[in-house]
Amino acid sequence: MPKYVMVIDIERCIGCMACVIACKKENNVPEKHFRTRVVEEVRGEFPNLRMELRSELCNHCENAPCIDACPTRASHRAKDGTVQIDRKKCIGCKACILACPYDARYSHPEGFADKCSFCEHRLKEGKKPACVETCLGKSRIFGDLDNLSSEVVELLRRHDFSVRLEFAGTQPRVFYIKRSFTGGL
Amino acid sequence: MSEITITGLNAITHPYLKVWDWRIIIYLFLGGLSAGMLVMSSIANLRIPKQSVKELAKCVRAPFIAFITLAIGALFIILDLGKPQNLIWGYLTFQPLSLMSWGTWGIPIVLLLNALYILAVIPEEQRYRLKFPFLLKLSEKLASKVRALAKWNFVAGIFLGIYTGVLLSSFAAIPLWNNATLPILFLVSALSSGAAMIVVIAKKAEIKFLFTKIDIWLIVAELVIILLFFYGLYTSTAPYKKAIKPFFSFTSEHFIFSLALISIFLLLPLALRIKIGELREFEGGFQGDFTKSQVFRMNLAAVLVVVGSFILRAAIVYAGQLTKLSHY
Amino acid sequence: MDLSRRDFLKIAATAGGAAVATNSVVKTVLALGKRPVSLPQYIPTTCEMCFWRCGAIAKVVDGKVVKLDGNPIHPNSRGKLCARGHGGIGLLYDQDRLKTPLINTGAKAEGKFKKVSWDEALGYIADKMQKIKEKYGPESIALLTHGSISTYFIHLLQAFGSPNFAFPSFALCRGARDTAFEITFGEAVGNPERIDIQNSKVIVLIGSHLGENAHNSQCQEFAEAVGKGATVIVLDPRFSTAAGKAKYWLPIKPATDLAILLAWINIIINEGLYDKDYVARYTLGFNELAQAVKEYTPQWAEKETDIPATLIIETARVLGKNKPNVLIHPGRHTAWYSDNVQRQRAIAILVALLGAYGRPGGIYLSPKKKLEPVFLSEKDYPEHKPELNKGNYPFAGDEGLTHVIVKATLTEQPYPIKAWFITGTNIMKAMPNQKDTIKALEKLDLVVAVDIMPYDGVMLADVVLPECTYLERHDDFFVVKERALGVSLRQPVVQPMYETKPGWWIAKELGKRLGLEDYFPWNTLEEFLKTKAQIWGVDYSELVKKGYIEIPESSKPYLLPDENYKFKTPSGKIELYSQELKRHGFDPIPKYTKHEQPPEGWFRLIYGRAPVHTFSRTINNPSLWELMEENVAWINTKVAKKIGLNHGEYIVLVNQDGIKSNKVKAKVTERIRPDCIYLVHGFGSTSRFLRRAYLRGADDQQLITRYAVDPIAGTVGMRVNFVKITKEV
Ligand SMILES: Nc1nc2c(c(=O)[nH]1)N[C@H]1C(S)=C(S)[C@@H](COP(=O)(O)OP(=O)(O)OC[C@H]3O[C@@H](n4cnc5c(=O)[nH]c(N)nc54)[C@H](O)[C@@H]3O)O[C@H]1N2
Ligand SMILES: Nc1nc2c(c(=O)[nH]1)N[C@H]1C(S)=C(S)[C@@H](COP(=O)(O)OP(=O)(O)OC[C@H]3O[C@@H](n4cnc5c(=O)[nH]c(N)nc54)[C@H](O)[C@@H]3O)O[C@H]1N2
Ligand code: SF4
Ligand code: SF4
Ligand code: SF4
Ligand code: SF4
Ligand code: SF4
Ligand SMILES: [Mo]
Repeated sequence: MPKYVMVIDIERCIGCMACVIACKKENNVPEKHFRTRVVEEVRGEFPNLRMELRSELCNHCENAPCIDACPTRASHRAKDGTVQIDRKKCIGCKACILACPYDARYSHPEGFADKCSFCEHRLKEGKKPACVETCLGKSRIFGDLDNLSSEVVELLRRHDFSVRLEFAGTQPRVFYIKRSFTGGL
Repeated sequence: MSEITITGLNAITHPYLKVWDWRIIIYLFLGGLSAGMLVMSSIANLRIPKQSVKELAKCVRAPFIAFITLAIGALFIILDLGKPQNLIWGYLTFQPLSLMSWGTWGIPIVLLLNALYILAVIPEEQRYRLKFPFLLKLSEKLASKVRALAKWNFVAGIFLGIYTGVLLSSFAAIPLWNNATLPILFLVSALSSGAAMIVVIAKKAEIKFLFTKIDIWLIVAELVIILLFFYGLYTSTAPYKKAIKPFFSFTSEHFIFSLALISIFLLLPLALRIKIGELREFEGGFQGDFTKSQVFRMNLAAVLVVVGSFILRAAIVYAGQLTKLSHY
Repeated sequence: MDLSRRDFLKIAATAGGAAVATNSVVKTVLALGKRPVSLPQYIPTTCEMCFWRCGAIAKVVDGKVVKLDGNPIHPNSRGKLCARGHGGIGLLYDQDRLKTPLINTGAKAEGKFKKVSWDEALGYIADKMQKIKEKYGPESIALLTHGSISTYFIHLLQAFGSPNFAFPSFALCRGARDTAFEITFGEAVGNPERIDIQNSKVIVLIGSHLGENAHNSQCQEFAEAVGKGATVIVLDPRFSTAAGKAKYWLPIKPATDLAILLAWINIIINEGLYDKDYVARYTLGFNELAQAVKEYTPQWAEKETDIPATLIIETARVLGKNKPNVLIHPGRHTAWYSDNVQRQRAIAILVALLGAYGRPGGIYLSPKKKLEPVFLSEKDYPEHKPELNKGNYPFAGDEGLTHVIVKATLTEQPYPIKAWFITGTNIMKAMPNQKDTIKALEKLDLVVAVDIMPYDGVMLADVVLPECTYLERHDDFFVVKERALGVSLRQPVVQPMYETKPGWWIAKELGKRLGLEDYFPWNTLEEFLKTKAQIWGVDYSELVKKGYIEIPESSKPYLLPDENYKFKTPSGKIELYSQELKRHGFDPIPKYTKHEQPPEGWFRLIYGRAPVHTFSRTINNPSLWELMEENVAWINTKVAKKIGLNHGEYIVLVNQDGIKSNKVKAKVTERIRPDCIYLVHGFGSTSRFLRRAYLRGADDQQLITRYAVDPIAGTVGMRVNFVKITKEV
């Protein structure tokens, strides 16, 4: 079984927001809701400023508190290791939304919880996730950690990486790489 | 200085969480109340051993009200569900790590035990009200098992009281909730409000007095635990420390939380003061009935406690959602 | 009974058949509850959410476009679309679209529309046009146009007898740059710009705010270069996204860019950092240049620009050391001040000194093949009075000057203009000085707008004709001049909604009513496209399937070593010193011009792009609106503190002429110089037909009541307005 991960090259993100809207269209995300976002963080004082741009999405945590919180197993780990939501089992209790330290989830107007699926349906067709495919900066890189010749393995080998809120102990599968500094994840 | 601009925000999680609202608060409050009443009524039934079962049965109103309260509470959480029609899936599995799952299974079980308890304590002369013959029969049979059922309901009450707190404290992502003090705080406050409720509904002076006494200890414990709760968070790392800020800030957006805390620290000691006053009046033991003003004072103190416990829950549920582990 | 063998076979067959039937019954039973969904169709076309014109592939399910993706073989998209490209679906399904032809029944520009049939609308227009032609001549009809629809309406107008058209894309956009590069290199840098950014070692962005300016493949290459560790130098009074990627952010005082450019030239020459072989081989006028820039020392430039001389020197050396793989981005929207062309000339000269034209990482050469133009008809256009659309600007481009049309309408000089066609441009948002625009409109006998959405400019028209969106129509081929030459097709991916029609149909139908049917000798545009493809030797059916075809062996991006390349200038050389400019009485080598700076308490109004919007045309797009509902006014933190302004507070901007903006939220930020206020362009629509965009945010154009004009090419300077902040909303 593959071990899907996303590597986010912070320096290559140019804040074009193509990912945000491509994801919405691909996954029919309802109005006013999002499965992914782009965070722009600027530090310093004029004229000594630094900027970091990074996209954020569900981390498909290895130790996923959202799964633990779910009473019905609607939130579950799929065979490929990704964290998925089975809509027909979801009672919409929103416990998983509170449990996720990354604000990755939202409540779908139809009642169930929803979040990034790593574009499960596209993976099945052998395509990359929509956000990755359209990422103008090639800042989002997707792949299989178990495939030693994959780009993600290569990138993680060459770069220091961090994950968001590492201290939360969730063991994210979305890794952030950057050459200079990594800001407030 | 750090400027953060985010594109693609969900209103439910940004700028702060707006996931659980008043429905959950009512659920937690009513759940706690009924937990306290179950425990207290069981104590009453177990603590007064010399009395006949018939006498004990006079406590019937407490389990009955506890049942109604819990049932209404449960209704509110169902009201909060986005897809209650899928609830069946909750009963096709048990998830030990999911407090929601504990609730899904736990609440009906508590309700069941509670119902049996009610049947057991119904006084003979009231049994005719049970419409169905099998209930009548069951009631007759259970009457002899009152003590055992009281024990079970004691456990159920403690479970329920702790559960309402653990439900919140299980969320590692929410600094204000995620600590071990919270379940104990919720349990004690549940017991306290349960005792207070019994004071209000009990007709018998003895019982009123007994629970007034018990409640004194509970209130003291509650106040101490609240202080420990804040102290524990204050001495913790950044997000946890930040989480209690709303209670100590007088900015317009957070004033309500400071107000809540102040109210709690006014209501509970006031109740305490009244109760201690009552206690003094009866230092020499009581004879016969209370005067009207005594009843009024005892009830007033009880209501203060119940209101305090409601405010506590409301404040913690809302304030908890203001602070996250991450800084945005 | 005897079962014959035949019968047996029959029975076996039925049994088998039955088995199959049961099987499928089982399948349908299992599939119960699942709505049968037809297989998606993938149709390639060309995006028109902006003018980069990427190849897009529409995913269509049950006649609905559900997703747009980038065409992998198209060089402008490379398999990706920008946010706006994805948002094309929002445009298609915007409920506020223009749905039927409309005629204004109220006072001029009142926007009191009644729905009419196409026949009535076209008849009305044709009738008015004939009357105007009789009274004033056909030249009295002017066309303001932008986008692919321009092709048909320029054709129609020329057939009718008027040469007077103007695009906002010249005077208000690329005009200065194109002129400067033509003067210097004999050729404009093209659209897409022929910049080899992915191979650049150093990238200099002068105001170009890539990332926010979301031109697809350019952004891709920029990120590629950043990823490879290119040194980025950004001159911008605002800490743009691109500045966030830069090693050197030079927060230059607005309007002083020419000072730094001249100082750089000075240092590069003085320190011998220029490409000597290249300069000797390809350029003309080096000595004059060296002489002319002597006075522009870094110390002088520091005083002008607020950028420390040390930093100017340091960056000049970075350029020199990395030559020729240096990209001095020529910019695109260069309509800044009154000396646009000279500023752009300085850029061109710098490019030449670094030997970066025709070299990796610099500006690559245009494709070495050409596709001969194929006209909509072979018929010659009628004779007409001399065109007025270029004014008295000797270097004005063929796209015409919008402000000259406005002025001519107002003054009726050199001859009256009595009708405007407005096709695919929002005249209220694109053109400065809205008051002049309105005054001019009031003088007109006929205003026709062909548009897809009821944006501000459309509201002013007498007749409104609803075009269908780019996803519902054919358009003329797009000749893509990237590194290689190619042809890109636009074809409908769904049928036109409502009563909307393609631009070519509208022009043709109007032509018919004007007796110009001979100019439209094809029934459908596709018929014309097929002929055109045949002439070009391009397989049309393949184009339909792929959306884009590259012309083989058309790419030659770089100069060969020792190549004797002949530039398309009169001298065949890169003209550092321009004889042409000299001949027309302009400085042959750029000289610094000082511009007015805002007085105390006032701020220079600057503007730019947001990645999720295209000018004003997307502000009502439901898909894009969601990502940015209104613009904000960027104000420096210290300034805000001084006047007691909070982040997120609504304010109003007032300009030097007392014009007040709509209310706009303050973005209090460290990211801008204290002497400017920045707005994203396009917001603050006054069209009440727009459910989402109506009166949201502030309109930069409304505050641009004053504009400068560059005497060389007639390009406009729009960053010459000063505003102050008021808190009365
Ligand atoms: N203040 C200020 N002014 C500027 C600029 C600025 O940044 N600030 N930018 C300048 C620049 S660089 C440019 S290029 C120009 C751009 O100027 P315009 O191209 O005029 O830009 P928009 O404001 O987007 O107006 C486009 C109009 O075309 C319509 N439209 C869009 N698609 C179609 C179509 O397929 N068919 C038809 N018929 N109509 C369509 C839209 O509905 C809208 O009404 O503006 C220039 N003016
Ligand atoms: N998302 C998106 N992308 C677009 C478009 C769009 O509408 N939306 N439009 C496209 C078109 S047609 C064009 S022309 C381009 C325009 O995009 P560019 O050519 O990149 O834009 P600029 O005119 O350079 O203006 C924007 C920047 O100039 C800075 N600036 C303002 N004044 C000065 C000054 O005096 N000196 C310097 N150095 N900088 C200054 C501003 O702070 C801002 O960051 O964008 C294209 N790309
Ligand atoms: S990011 Fe949140 S939603 Fe995603 S797996 Fe981790 S905890 Fe669950
Ligand atoms: S909202 Fe749905 S997915 Fe989330 S915890 Fe509840 S049942 Fe599970
Ligand atoms: S992987 Fe798919 S679902 Fe997740 S953010 Fe990207 S596009 Fe959205
Ligand atoms: S598409 Fe890529 S470059 Fe653009 S904002 Fe998203 S992550 Fe950044
Ligand atoms: S850059 Fe974006 S909006 Fe412009 S044509 Fe390409 S995809 Fe469309
Ligand atoms: Mo432009």
